[in-house]
Amino acid sequence: MSKFYDVVIAGGGVIGASCAYQLSKRKHLKIALIDAKRPGNATRASAGGLWAIGESVGLGCGVIFFRMMSANRKREAHGAAVAVDSSTPHILPQSFFDFALQSNAMYPDLHRELQENHGMDFKFEKTGLKFVIYDDEDRLYAEHIVACIPHLADQVRWLDQAALREAEPSVSHEARGALEFLCDHQVSPFRLADAYTEGARQNGVDLYFNTNVTGVLKHDSRVNGVQTDEAGVFRCDTLINAAGAWAADLSEQATGIRIPVNPVKGQILLTERMPKILHGCLTTSDCYVAQKDNGEILIGSTTEDKGFDVTTTYPEISGLVQGALRCIPALADINLKRCWAGLRPGSPDELPILGPMKGVEGYLNACGHFRTGILTSAITGVLLDKLVNNEPLPLDITPFLADRFAGVPEVERKEMDLA
Amino acid sequence: MSQHPVIVGGGPAGMAAAIELARHGVRCTLLEEASRLGGVVYRGPLRDNVHLDYLGPRYSQVLAKLHGEFREQSGLIDVRLNHRVVGAEGTRTLVLLDADERLQEIEYSQLLLAAGCHERSVPFPGWTLPGVILLGGLQLQIKSGVVKPQGPVVIAGTGPLLPLVACQLHTSGVSVAGVYEACAFGKIARESLALLNKPQLFLDGLSMLAYLKLHGIPMHYGWGVVEAQGEGELNSVTVAPYSSTWEPELSRAEKVAAQTLAVGYGFIPRTQLSQQMGLDHGFSDDGYLRASANVWQQSSEPHVHLAGDMGGIRGGEAAMLAGRIAAVSILLQRNVLDLELALVRRDRYLSKLKSIVRFRAAVDRYTERGAGQTALPAADTVICRCEHATRADIDRALEQGVQDLASLKMRTRVSMGDCQGRMCVGYCTDRLREATGRQDVGWLRPRFPVDPIPFSAFQSVGREAASHE
Repeated sequence: MSKFYDVVIAGGGVIGASCAYQLSKRKHLKIALIDAKRPGNATRASAGGLWAIGESVGLGCGVIFFRMMSANRKREAHGAAVAVDSSTPHILPQSFFDFALQSNAMYPDLHRELQENHGMDFKFEKTGLKFVIYDDEDRLYAEHIVACIPHLADQVRWLDQAALREAEPSVSHEARGALEFLCDHQVSPFRLADAYTEGARQNGVDLYFNTNVTGVLKHDSRVNGVQTDEAGVFRCDTLINAAGAWAADLSEQATGIRIPVNPVKGQILLTERMPKILHGCLTTSDCYVAQKDNGEILIGSTTEDKGFDVTTTYPEISGLVQGALRCIPALADINLKRCWAGLRPGSPDELPILGPMKGVEGYLNACGHFRTGILTSAITGVLLDKLVNNEPLPLDITPFLADRFAGVPEVERKEMDLA
Repeated sequence: MSQHPVIVGGGPAGMAAAIELARHGVRCTLLEEASRLGGVVYRGPLRDNVHLDYLGPRYSQVLAKLHGEFREQSGLIDVRLNHRVVGAEGTRTLVLLDADERLQEIEYSQLLLAAGCHERSVPFPGWTLPGVILLGGLQLQIKSGVVKPQGPVVIAGTGPLLPLVACQLHTSGVSVAGVYEACAFGKIARESLALLNKPQLFLDGLSMLAYLKLHGIPMHYGWGVVEAQGEGELNSVTVAPYSSTWEPELSRAEKVAAQTLAVGYGFIPRTQLSQQMGLDHGFSDDGYLRASANVWQQSSEPHVHLAGDMGGIRGGEAAMLAGRIAAVSILLQRNVLDLELALVRRDRYLSKLKSIVRFRAAVDRYTERGAGQTALPAADTVICRCEHATRADIDRALEQGVQDLASLKMRTRVSMGDCQGRMCVGYCTDRLREATGRQDVGWLRPRFPVDPIPFSAFQSVGREAASHE
């Protein structure tokens, strides 16, 4: 017995849920959101930072990622012409800034809308993000960042040591100052995903939880349904691939081409509830630190290439603990409550993979969001809704099309799959 | 790597295993989170020179025998008290918080997990009032020889622990207002034959009932708790007759004055470590998750053994036998015993274990919880005490289509507190099973650390590690 839908969304993380929510406002579309929570889904392992500038310039999760990458490159490219070291910030292309900043700007309204219309509060907080500067190397790094983003000068503020102490008294007095990104804020990541999901449900989307998509049905070059283990066949006009770290498998089933999405493991820590000791989110060159709405402090995160492994490991946790203690010495006396790991859906160029693929109809990508899925879920939902309905897009998605990888030689692509 | 087997849990299973290993000349490390060995069943008094006559001669005998045998072998047992295992790294290393609150890693060749169980919390209006406690916890108070609960005490729940604790309380001088066993007497009587698998226990049960009768402590069958009342602390309990499915008949409800209400609805295995290790698990008929073990007490990783209640609730005597079987398996794996000898020893323990298993199965059948239990909490009754999630929060999440425990956690924050769901997991999984009709609604994935640990516990390890580099 088949079910018939206009749109089937495979993957109920923050991206799939945002797509479902935006599409559900249309009312004329029949939509199914299919989800099987697998260990390591990134939405639940996210810090919930809306660090539009911070992540674009390689801070937050990025700074740790960058350190790992530059260490690898140094090892590989011994004596290479281009010197890469930790004083060179890792800046994403302009297309990503536009994408991230547009998405970021949507949250105040989205917060109001989901709360008023659907009774769901995803705990949007205006926090700012401060890059804490301990030494000359950090300062140099911060100066490079500022030099790279002249167009965002009004969103950047330098804090000297006195200003930082006044703004964040709990930060180590060793810190010499900070660079603050004024428009970077935070939400509760799983509440955001739940808010989209519940909004979509109230608007009539059918939710199929604990349901695994096992195959894609096609007629010639047109995708026209999916097979599931638990709920049979779903026929549809459009299939959206929002399968997070598992998106490559689905793309292969749907299009015959394996998009280069690979799991990138991140371990994070959470403290017991604390009185408010941080006024904003912090990032250092060791870790990021964010106190959430309920007083818990979230510390992240590692960037590891371990396949689908989601175990927590003592040396990595200990590393984050040391980084957090260096930033906030008062943490020594409080308790670590939980650690866990998530799998970011990483793409080779760190940009998401959105929209249609050449030669296949009825299929759209909404994946590869790497470390910024929470931040960019808002704009992704809007873009996918416009794509399904053939309407003009609020920004150019050419840089995000899967076809950008088409020119990559076969050999290299295999390596990327393994990476 | 440590050449010694490591045992987690110094209760009857862990102690019996350590004794068996030592008798064969094998040294082991025994990690115990408490300041004394014996587990909740055989920990004994917290102070010396305390006499526990009121716990009965048979109990005192077993207690003395276990600790006596252990003492004889203590030269080969490296006992580490106040050591709390807070995590597992794969199936070769444990992370523990030592008595000085420092983190250590310990590797092992063979492991016995005997972490025991925790009590099943059953929420009802007023269950979080001071004065309402769990039955096992109350029994620990009397066993400690240090604290006694304030009387009058009302005991409610199901199972053989109810009359036992009532007798122990009375003998220790605490007044018991009444015992309310949720199951009808007929249901227990129907299991008489199976209960005779342990004639001594059955006889003990009958003599306990006679004791209660003699001392005028009323034992009500087919009655259960409806609500607890009090301003700031407990002062009365409302009880009512239960139908066969545990729906209270409110028109016949009675209010009983009480300073303490002890609630006992059984136990749930502590599977935090076995889950972290990725061992195989299954669900019991009572709906709890338990680690799976074979006839050698081996988990799905043959060098990791399980014994005691974490593999299913069977009590202290069965724990000792299972601990000994696990030790025999370890001895076999270490080539201390050959297969023939190991089989002989194992089968001797196994035959004793089987009669306990049959006895426990009968207890499990008559103590089967009724579906009406989950209807007890009111909309504003707190279900998750750490995160203050109420029944209404859970109802709403279920209406919104939540179908598994992980999603319920995200939607309501149940289990996100310090206890990682030990208190609410029973109620939440019961509700999800009701709502979905599925037996498997998932379980909480325990995270490292199993119990909160101070950040400063890491600091020293970091420094030590660094200095070795």
